[in-house]
Amino acid sequence: MPDLASSRRPRSGERGRLIATHTVLIVGGLVMLGPFVWELLTSLKPFGETTQNPPTILPHHWQLSNYSKVFQSLPFGRQFLNTVVMTVGRTLAQLVFCSMAGYAFARMRFRGANVLFGLFLSVLMVPGLLFLIPQYVLLERLGWLNTMQGLIVPGMFSAFGVFLLRQVFMAMPYETEEAARIDGANPFQIFWRIMLPLARPGLAALAILSALSAWNDLMFPLVVTTDPNKMTLSAGLATLQGEHFTDYSVLMAGALMATAPMIVVFLVLQKQFVQGIAFTGSKG
Amino acid sequence: MPQPSDQHRMKGRVRSARPAVAAAVAAGLVLAATGCGSGSGSGSGSKASGGPVNLTYRIWDSTQQTGMQHIVDAFQQANPNIHVRIELVANKEYWTKLQADATAGSAPDVFWMNGPNAQLYESNKQLLALSSNVLKQNGVDLANYPAALNQLYNLGGTQYGIPKDFDTVGLWYNKKLFDAAGLKYPDASWTWQDVQNAAKKLTDASKGQYGILAPPYGQENYYDTIFQAGGYVIAPGGKSSGYAKPEAQAGLKFWSDLVKDGYSPSLKSMTDTFAAQQFESGKIGMYYAGSWNCMEFSKSDTIKDSVDVAVLPQGVKKATVIHGLANVGYAKTKHPAEVEKFLAFLGSKQANEIEAKDSGVIPAYNGTQQAWVASFPNFHVQSYLDELPYAVAYPTSKNTSAWQNQEAAVLAPAWDGGEDIGTAAQQLATMMNTALSKEQ
Amino acid sequence: MAAKIQQAPRTLTATRSPHRERVRRCRNRSEHAWAYLMIAPVTIGLGLFYLWPIVQTFYYSFTQSGPFGGHQWIGAANYRALAHDSSVTQSALNTVFYTVLQLAGIPLAVFVAALLNQRGLRGRSVYRVIYFLPVVTMPVAAAMVWRWMYQGDNGIINHLLSGFGIAGPHWVSDPSTAMYALAAVGIWMAFGTNLVIFLAGLQGIPAEYYEAAKVDGASATRTFFRITVPMLTPSIFFATVLTVINSLQLFDLVYMMMGTPSDATGQSNPAMPHVQTIASLFYEKAFIEHDTGFGAAVAFVLVAFILLVTVVQFRLQKKWVHYA
Repeated sequence: MPDLASSRRPRSGERGRLIATHTVLIVGGLVMLGPFVWELLTSLKPFGETTQNPPTILPHHWQLSNYSKVFQSLPFGRQFLNTVVMTVGRTLAQLVFCSMAGYAFARMRFRGANVLFGLFLSVLMVPGLLFLIPQYVLLERLGWLNTMQGLIVPGMFSAFGVFLLRQVFMAMPYETEEAARIDGANPFQIFWRIMLPLARPGLAALAILSALSAWNDLMFPLVVTTDPNKMTLSAGLATLQGEHFTDYSVLMAGALMATAPMIVVFLVLQKQFVQGIAFTGSKG
Repeated sequence: MPQPSDQHRMKGRVRSARPAVAAAVAAGLVLAATGCGSGSGSGSGSKASGGPVNLTYRIWDSTQQTGMQHIVDAFQQANPNIHVRIELVANKEYWTKLQADATAGSAPDVFWMNGPNAQLYESNKQLLALSSNVLKQNGVDLANYPAALNQLYNLGGTQYGIPKDFDTVGLWYNKKLFDAAGLKYPDASWTWQDVQNAAKKLTDASKGQYGILAPPYGQENYYDTIFQAGGYVIAPGGKSSGYAKPEAQAGLKFWSDLVKDGYSPSLKSMTDTFAAQQFESGKIGMYYAGSWNCMEFSKSDTIKDSVDVAVLPQGVKKATVIHGLANVGYAKTKHPAEVEKFLAFLGSKQANEIEAKDSGVIPAYNGTQQAWVASFPNFHVQSYLDELPYAVAYPTSKNTSAWQNQEAAVLAPAWDGGEDIGTAAQQLATMMNTALSKEQ
Repeated sequence: MAAKIQQAPRTLTATRSPHRERVRRCRNRSEHAWAYLMIAPVTIGLGLFYLWPIVQTFYYSFTQSGPFGGHQWIGAANYRALAHDSSVTQSALNTVFYTVLQLAGIPLAVFVAALLNQRGLRGRSVYRVIYFLPVVTMPVAAAMVWRWMYQGDNGIINHLLSGFGIAGPHWVSDPSTAMYALAAVGIWMAFGTNLVIFLAGLQGIPAEYYEAAKVDGASATRTFFRITVPMLTPSIFFATVLTVINSLQLFDLVYMMMGTPSDATGQSNPAMPHVQTIASLFYEKAFIEHDTGFGAAVAFVLVAFILLVTVVQFRLQKKWVHYA
């Protein structure tokens, strides 16, 4: 419980409570980390050992070759690159498009604004699966199957992003804007030069959320791409499951490799991640 | 590396072959080398006039990719003007994706088809009809393939596919366990009763040893026994279900009883760990397995020296399910003439011989199967061919997966021990008749 | 996320000063043009890739549709059939049950957030990283790991349980445990997000409130329920709305954990009837059984349901959410 007692040095009762707190947190932490540990251990075992009953905890034979098997089964480097390009492309586009629209909805008046905004919000209520075939048909008409633009373009627009940034702009003071307006700046200039820089925390939050969802997107890349060289990591991982279903050691190695880049980004930028999510919470 | 064979059986059968790493690696290399990856399907082909024609050939089994590539190479050598690109799609999403492609009007020029989906695509005019004239012009004689296979890809007298391969079901047994129990190995004289007796003797729960595996699979399990009991799954003409008949219920009960009596691992256990993989653990006495399992069993260090295969035991009569894939053309392909040519080549003796050697599946062309038999010298895989005279075609209708999907759902509780199999069968018959009536 | 959906228009009008009103009027025309320009990309993109598919699918729900297109108007027949389909009712109940289980993760996250927020606690950021890690994990990878741990015969969870003399079930194929097994994965994946939202909320609670409680001699438990929880209600409300919308759309976990490559929808899994959600039923009807029209109707029942629940949540928020 929050305790703002003035004394700096923990009293004995307080120390007891801290110990209890750590115990609870460590147990919880083990539950959160457990699957990662098991994933790692399994990925280092030979196949025969994974099907053993009872299971071994530490590998009896350490086998690193499961990782090279992933490289043999998937064009991993290529798929990694695809995923990065897709993630960056979608994220940048969302930042630009959603902030423009979010600003317009927050600060400008135009006919149909409410109806349009309501329609955008309705997208959030619809399960993503419903868009699969219509989007596929559309991409086919455009000749974009198995292409980078096919992977990126539909993900460049986000109803959630518009909503989030509209909230951000609505919370900003009017005064700065007024001054610029009197100076004769047009609405886009005001948005781009003055308001957008102020919206930085909101943009960071959207960037994190949209990067996460692009990186993890599964069904859409799976259906839009057939060529392993055009696939993203999550889709590639799914095909690994199709081909090596029970070779759990290779599967776990692949799962770990596909997840690792995002985990590294998170560890480096953890402050931004945490603030980004917290920011979304406070703006909701 | 050991792999479960069942991984390629999608909802309601589908061929399969177990992935071997070597093949997967080769597949990756081939793809890397050919990775052109322009838009999929017929849209990417150039106009027939003049320059070379590009065709896309879609398959779902990575272990067969090398074999298919060899066939394509041979075809291209004979037809330098036609370029064929193989496209491998993950098994689990193959049909979802094909449906999306066909909806968009951009399915690949040539692709694999299976029995359950054949009539769906045929009746919705998605497949290129192969008139007898076309077949003749391209030198295809359907008499070269088992009649039951031709029939799977024939709707209302029109042929849509040329059989590619086939599979039947055999009884695999673990000689070590049979010896230890002092039992005679299965042979052509075996009946259901022999299976039940052996299953009982082979079971030793304390050692985690079971007499038989009885998963609720249609093709490998209850379809066979339904036919052996003299029943049918779907009435001739495809308008009604056979599950309400006592013969069909006898065929189902054979399996659910084996689970109920504890001679088979539970359904829960078989959901967690694939049946074929359990058999490979060496603790299972008998297993009804499709011919596509041969390759995997021959590679498993645990059991390759201790297992063999016999023909299926008989009930009221002898029977096995036969199913096979076909190569089909897309109705909206821009190059029908080239597609027909390629289809004919895929069905040729030459292509089937390559398939027998490189793919691990039984080729459909009569007379080419011995190469497949010869590739498994340690097992009596001839059993699979010995069953041909009494093989029954895999049951299909216009929308097979609509009722097959319910088969699994309705039967699961009976297999799991909760529900009476007769009640489940009645319920299934009703649901299946509703689904069939929607097809008309 | 959605907490201000309803207040939005009000904020707009309420803060408009007469002066700005004047400025606005004379700029109206050019501002209109600018506004349309600025919303154009999103409007075109969302319209093309999202809104139009919704309209199309809504139309399909009133048709008898073939698997490859070809639609025949049949009025509300799909919706009538759906009302009599027990699998729809069952999956609706399953979906609600899953959602309820997910909501159980919220008090848990509040509790952990409060623990982490204690003064003098060391290693706070280490804990935060650990608890947040599952959020950045690829769901398909996480599902694979969990499915592997849930194995009945030689899974690690049952192995550990056997150490305590407990014989664990086949978690994902046992009808009585499958839903809990899935829900646990769902909570595990979302826990970090909720935790971080609550931690931020806790930091916004003025220290004086706690000092006052201290002076009054309130116990820790009393302080938690009388100060922490009420002051945190806006964050709790936000997390609840988010959790409900996500949980009602559950599909991925069912698809990845119940099915297998050989059995895309997991129908032969005896636990499936107890785990089937509305979204996975939609997949089954539209993609496996090729009944696109009926599938579309199922999807719109879900949309209507989500809409209803969200509206009710906003209506009820006045009763329990304290905005400072």
